[in-house]
Amino acid sequence: SQPLAGHQAAELQSKVVPSKQILHSDNMEMEPETMETKSVTDYFSKLHMGSLVYSCTSKRKSK
Amino acid sequence: RMEASCLELALEGERLCKAGDCRAGVSFFEAAVQVGTEDLRTLSAIYSQLGNAYFYLHEYAKALEYHHHDLTLARTIGDLLGEAKASGNLGNTLKVLGNFEEAIVCCQRHLDISRELNDKVGEARALYNLGNVYHSKGKNVASAGTHDPGELPDDVKSALQKAANYYEENLTIVTELSDRAAQGRAFGNLGNTHYLLGNFRSAVLAHEQRLLIAKEFGDRSAERRAYSNLGNAYIFLGEFETASEYYKRTLQLARQLKDRAVEAQACYSLGNTYTLLQDYEKAIDYHLKHLVIAQELNDKIGEGRACWSLGNAYTALGNHDQAIHFAERHLEISREVGDRSGELTARLNLSDLHMVLGLSYSTNTSMMSESHVVENSLNGTRPRVGRRHSMENMELMKLTPEKVQNWN
Repeated sequence: SQPLAGHQAAELQSKVVPSKQILHSDNMEMEPETMETKSVTDYFSKLHMGSLVYSCTSKRKSK
Repeated sequence: RMEASCLELALEGERLCKAGDCRAGVSFFEAAVQVGTEDLRTLSAIYSQLGNAYFYLHEYAKALEYHHHDLTLARTIGDLLGEAKASGNLGNTLKVLGNFEEAIVCCQRHLDISRELNDKVGEARALYNLGNVYHSKGKNVASAGTHDPGELPDDVKSALQKAANYYEENLTIVTELSDRAAQGRAFGNLGNTHYLLGNFRSAVLAHEQRLLIAKEFGDRSAERRAYSNLGNAYIFLGEFETASEYYKRTLQLARQLKDRAVEAQACYSLGNTYTLLQDYEKAIDYHLKHLVIAQELNDKIGEGRACWSLGNAYTALGNHDQAIHFAERHLEISREVGDRSGELTARLNLSDLHMVLGLSYSTNTSMMSESHVVENSLNGTRPRVGRRHSMENMELMKLTPEKVQNWN
């Protein structure tokens, strides 16, 4: 059998497997996205708290 | 019997989403839309939350639909802040869908309105989003080729440079606002952008800041991300010992957090790092750990990679029986997943091993006779013995410290 000679070993590298396959680079860890948030309650507390709460509760009472 | 109002349904949807159950939240929001309301601000808030819930559920087409409704509504009622928010969310969604040009327009609108309203928090968030869009755009084009970090076409480089600039602008504002969490996010993504640009020293500096902030918050997921990214950067600085230390911390945290996929990735990175350090016993140890988890998770592509790596490491140690075993397994898996280049590599590896061990041994197996067919079909282009040592000649190794320094 034929041993692997040092000079042969250093000679070539695989051209078939792209470097990406052995690189770490395709596993970069990104930070999460930030989404903008809206809320129906924000809207109440800021704008119409008094009147809407009043109209809601009075509507319920009337039912 | 009193029926639930639109508002009540929406409030329940909000509660469920806040509790982390987006799937149930979506049902309530959709019911709220069915019931309907004449209050357009309430409807806008419902559309926005539906869009975000679908975004977190990775149903981006639905997310796009609802954020688009929200944007239209916000414009109709002249709610400028609402329009800014809807634009930002639409931009993030378009980015994930790969529509970078429209994403940029939307995120820019978010930025413009925030500046008009003198809303510093909104401005900073828009800058972060813009950075993310340009980063994704750059990475997307880059991944189409086979470049290593730092070797980039001009359009990729310019997109990544823009991303870096937006992250820097964001950092200026969130530092003024003393928003440490936002600083952490910006440092992390800035570090990854520098990494892709080949500025590995700058990447390390940014990820070190990210690590510091993650520790302040006791955010172990962010801490793990920082270790992993630091490991990657040190590989390209040629400092493999340091890289291995960071990957070990990644592995430790992945185990604590019980994230098997991340644990597998850390083992794989450690296997490759020890290969670069030419400590093949340790490389094999980690690649075997990676293999076990890949099998457990039924990750065929990961399993194929593990077998390929193990074949290389065993060859380096002169253990040809094990090398052949894993090369054969690599061939099987490559065929199973339809990976043509993997299949070819495995065949070539096998034929090399067969030459090393001598013809009498290998012609006994059917695998070998198949690889002869490939050899013939390759028409004399069959590489010589020695290609097997590809791991020693990994393209990483071209990055001598001198070359790296020129990039920084």
